[in-house]
Amino acid sequence: MELIATGRFKKAMDRASHAAAYTKKISEIVADLSRANLQISHPLLEARPEPRVTALLALTSNRGLCGGYNAGVLRLVLARIREVRQTGEVLKLEVSGKRGINFVKFQALTAEKTYTQFEDKPTFAEVEALADRFIEAFVSKKIDRLQIAYTRFESASRQVATLETLLPIGSLQTQLQTQSRAAASDQRPVEYEFLPSSGEILKEIVPAAFKARLFKCFLDAAVSEQIFRRVAMKAATENASEMIGSLSQLYNRARQTQITSELSEIIGGAAALE
Amino acid sequence: MSTKTHQKKPKTGNNIGHVTQIIGSTFDAEFPEDSLPEIYNALKIDREVKGVRVKVTGEVQQHLGGGRVRCVALGSTDGMVRGTEVLDTGASLTVPVGKGTLGRVFNLLGDPVDGRGEVTVDERWPIHRMPPLMENLSAKTEIFATGIKVVDLLTPFVRGGKAGLFGGAGLGKTVILTELIARIASAHGGYSVFAGVGERTREGNDLWLEMQETKIGKTDRSVIEQTCMVFGQMNEPPGARLRVALSALTMAEWFRDTTGTDTLLFIDNIFRFSQAGSEVSALLGRMPSAVGYQPTLGTELGELQERIASTNKGAITSVQAVYVPADDPTDPAPATAFSHLDAFIYLERKIAEKGIYPAIDPLASSSRVLDPQYVGERHYAVARQVQKILQRYRELQDIIAILGVDELSEEDKLVVHRARRIERFLSQPFLVAEAFTGKAGKITPLEDTIRSFEELCSGKWDHLPEGSFMYVGGVDEAEEQAKRLAQG
Repeated sequence: MELIATGRFKKAMDRASHAAAYTKKISEIVADLSRANLQISHPLLEARPEPRVTALLALTSNRGLCGGYNAGVLRLVLARIREVRQTGEVLKLEVSGKRGINFVKFQALTAEKTYTQFEDKPTFAEVEALADRFIEAFVSKKIDRLQIAYTRFESASRQVATLETLLPIGSLQTQLQTQSRAAASDQRPVEYEFLPSSGEILKEIVPAAFKARLFKCFLDAAVSEQIFRRVAMKAATENASEMIGSLSQLYNRARQTQITSELSEIIGGAAALE
Repeated sequence: MSTKTHQKKPKTGNNIGHVTQIIGSTFDAEFPEDSLPEIYNALKIDREVKGVRVKVTGEVQQHLGGGRVRCVALGSTDGMVRGTEVLDTGASLTVPVGKGTLGRVFNLLGDPVDGRGEVTVDERWPIHRMPPLMENLSAKTEIFATGIKVVDLLTPFVRGGKAGLFGGAGLGKTVILTELIARIASAHGGYSVFAGVGERTREGNDLWLEMQETKIGKTDRSVIEQTCMVFGQMNEPPGARLRVALSALTMAEWFRDTTGTDTLLFIDNIFRFSQAGSEVSALLGRMPSAVGYQPTLGTELGELQERIASTNKGAITSVQAVYVPADDPTDPAPATAFSHLDAFIYLERKIAEKGIYPAIDPLASSSRVLDPQYVGERHYAVARQVQKILQRYRELQDIIAILGVDELSEEDKLVVHRARRIERFLSQPFLVAEAFTGKAGKITPLEDTIRSFEELCSGKWDHLPEGSFMYVGGVDEAEEQAKRLAQG
């Protein structure tokens, strides 16, 4: 299991790093656009003053044997649900992964939608369909906010279960500033010319940025899952071999005790008969 | 009928023989062929040999032929030489019985050892007696509450029954036994008899002092005034340890048969009785049986245990500690003792290692009366539920050890969550351990115990931290403790 997870982790890692380049570039463009001090107005960007209906998408795994991977995400979800219960918002829960679905069932919660098709190779087409549905729901004001609970991949040794707000993309700039500032420090901001108009461009690029981010979440989750699995299986192998060690020791000791006592009984019996 | 003894034609006399052989704590004596002492007769040696006074009582075990008998010495054989004169007392060993024995401490010969002078009694009874007849046995079954949660819930004691405390070295058998004395004897109006068999002399001394301090209920009288104690501790030769339980039992039988009250008999430790038997067995020339025990292990223990019974005249409720050698309950000595008991309490090292005392294993322990017919449907259902949760937890332990708790299904996680709380809630502060735990002993009424566990199983207290269930009485105290812990 550990070896399989390692192999899958490598592949997932490659996919994530490929996507990372695209996500980074598109964030840069959006950041540049915003820095161009344009009048940005797009339905996906506008924050609603009092979010009433929140969609919460939780990314969990389809399979187990991955340590605290699902528990971390689900803990966030549960905390969020408790919070929502107090404020009186409406929470539409969507869950990806069998583990999360089982958890929801056990806690007697209701999930609006469940997905099991996302394995360790989420395709952009699948995620895009999902993203389109969210965009549609957001624009038509069926939801006021989209949050996602997943395990963010930071490095091979660090993955954090996080809760992020993807829609509205109001927080886009602040979140990406660190990235773009690093990019901006060594190169001058590119001057863009918008053709046919900035509005047209935004119409294309904002949903694309959202989709890229959502896809990135799925990829991150897939990578993190494999890392968690590898670590968990490594620990399990170690624990099991330790247990085998102590059990064989116990077995040998018991065997030896029995032989000794049988021997002494035979000798004792023989001696008593003399 | 129950006073009938092995002795058929008691002979008083001047039947004198001579020692012919001494092997460790056994010796052979030769008598004239026509006046051989009977089996179980007491033989007395009281001689001065080369300036050393040898005063030993022996008990006849075998007739060897040629006028020779083989005896177990009930005291030290130091200084005994061949040719020493031996007097056949013509009867088996007798011990004083009656109300005069109350508040006193004896050795197995019935001699007082507490330094308070002679004991005044009207009667002495032989220590070898027949068990009560079947037709006289009492058929009543009544629960005997102790105020200890785990005992009352999972291994309820029977009034007039026998309970055994099984455990390896250092798990707290003696502490639980002392606690039971403090709880039962102080609430109980009847008489108690304590037999110290092959345990530490210091513990006997501690117990004696403890009993002088403990008061009966709200009266001014101390427990010792209703108790008699018989000791044959580790320092004594095997013969003494082999017979001391019988001496104590004989005194308890007098209280049962004559006063008709409920009598308590505490024995610490019945394993030492079997052990003493195995020590003398080989010396008597018997072939060792399984694990080196005497071939007569079952018979010897049966003869003792069958006498500890409740009759329609009165009851003997007995609590016995049973040492389990090397923590192996399949060892013949504890395994034989097991079959005689109504309630069986097994102390587990793994639980003691977690710091949970009393370290009673809730799954290995059992009681004959844990049955809806005796304890009621509710009590039975709660007890089974508790065991089910703990059983499932134990099954999951291997998975947790290898894969971690996160891999469990949601149902199993909840089971683990509750089981860990139940496990801790089975601990309880003891009256006699106040000095160690720093907490006052808690007596939990049976009703509270059942309700507490019922609520725990139903998940009412899932939100409290595990630590708050340690060493409390009822579950309400756990809630208070949780508040205290939260405040820091």
